[in-house]
Amino acid sequence: MIDNFSIGLTHGLMLLAALLLLLRPELDREEPPKPLPKPKAWRDKGGGNA
Amino acid sequence: MRDLIFVAFLLMLIGAGFKRPFLFVLSYVYIDIVAPQRLTYMLLNTVPISLIAVSLAIGGWLLIDDKRDTRIAPRQFLMIVLLLYCWVTTTQADFPIEAAEKWSWVWKALAFAIFLPLTLRTRLRIESLGLFMVLSAATIIIVGGIKTIGSGGGYGGLNLMVTNNTGLYESSIISCVAIAIIPLILFLMRYGTIFPTDWRVKLFAYALCFACLLMPIGTEARTGLICVVVLGALMLRHTKRRFLYIMMAGILAVSAIPFLPSSFSNRMDTIKNYKSDSSASTRIEVWKWTWEYVKEHPFGGGFNAYLQNKIRYETVSVDEAGGVATQEETLILDKARAYHSAYFEMLGEQGFPGLFIWLVIQTIGLFRMEAIRRKYQNYADEGEQWIGRLAEALQHGQIIYLVGALFVGIAFQPFIFMLLGMQIGLDTYAQRRSVEAAWRPMNEALPAPA
Repeated sequence: MIDNFSIGLTHGLMLLAALLLLLRPELDREEPPKPLPKPKAWRDKGGGNA
Repeated sequence: MRDLIFVAFLLMLIGAGFKRPFLFVLSYVYIDIVAPQRLTYMLLNTVPISLIAVSLAIGGWLLIDDKRDTRIAPRQFLMIVLLLYCWVTTTQADFPIEAAEKWSWVWKALAFAIFLPLTLRTRLRIESLGLFMVLSAATIIIVGGIKTIGSGGGYGGLNLMVTNNTGLYESSIISCVAIAIIPLILFLMRYGTIFPTDWRVKLFAYALCFACLLMPIGTEARTGLICVVVLGALMLRHTKRRFLYIMMAGILAVSAIPFLPSSFSNRMDTIKNYKSDSSASTRIEVWKWTWEYVKEHPFGGGFNAYLQNKIRYETVSVDEAGGVATQEETLILDKARAYHSAYFEMLGEQGFPGLFIWLVIQTIGLFRMEAIRRKYQNYADEGEQWIGRLAEALQHGQIIYLVGALFVGIAFQPFIFMLLGMQIGLDTYAQRRSVEAAWRPMNEALPAPA
């Protein structure tokens, strides 16, 4: 009974996770990261609005 | 009935792999941890499911996966060296048949840990690996947790579905691993994207952590208790109100004592009175024997070399009755006792070179995770903060394992090698992302002229 509860719960969740993974293209390919932020000191000096 | 459910589950999981080959990797992870073939009476135990899954995983990676900018970390090289070294010691082993038996699973664990990081190219893959490892281990831990609440457990008495005491189903191993994955469970609860944080995820994660903490009680494995103490100390590192945390932990621990089964308290008492406990005395004698053995055989005796040990020692127990203490000494003779420590296991079986390579692999892991954690600690981009948090969770898990491994022979535990593979995957992923983030064409990096 306890065994079946545990197996049912974890396997159900793994199956749901697998299903959700199928729907997400970023499993295989992901966007390149945003460029690193500018150094703080530079921004503090008012070096542009960017 | 259960057989059919497992077959259906595996078919669906592997079927999904044909759409997204990374799911083959997850299928292998699941099979390796849960070993569904051991939980069924027929069907699965006649088919080499593990071999099928690993072939599909490697095949999928070779044929379909993107292999641009594949990085091989120094630790993967070290694992290859360790693998080859273990192969040589197996051919020269003191007990060739028994050594070959252990080699048959050790090489798979090592080879998979070498392969795994190559597939971990995206955040979602790293996360899903962690999720599958946690949920697979949870299959055993939830059973253990509920049965501990119900019956109180007992050393060797907690029925974890399988009686043959192998893999994670062994009580000392599961009580160490259960504590080691708590930081990973908490990470997935806070930063997971497959199951984003909500009340259900939190409820499950906290309940699972509670079940993990019950494992050392249920199995009465003393190693587990030491692991819990290490976990507590590590969590202190990031607690804002430290004094309150220590007070709460103390109150919780004291209030839990009346609820612990008396067999548990008696057994934990043997940590301080180790001289009266034959299991603890045996360990010390086996470690002494191992040290003498490697002085003569610096390259170790190959897997399962402990089978040749013969030890004799005395246990001292003190009985206090009516204010009079009587000391009783018992002579115990024993042979073929296991190492009960991953460090002595490496030393006795693989000698000084084997222990050295193994220690270097572990140490690099601790330092690399620390470096990543610091780098991403105050990272401006919230999208990348998870990298530092995961590095920390994996490092804490490893520290708990390394302390637990002082008293349990789990040097080649496949689950831990998967965690190491995940560390390497995270490390190469973070390096790749930093290179991609830093590089920009000049015209894009400069502000546009007004």
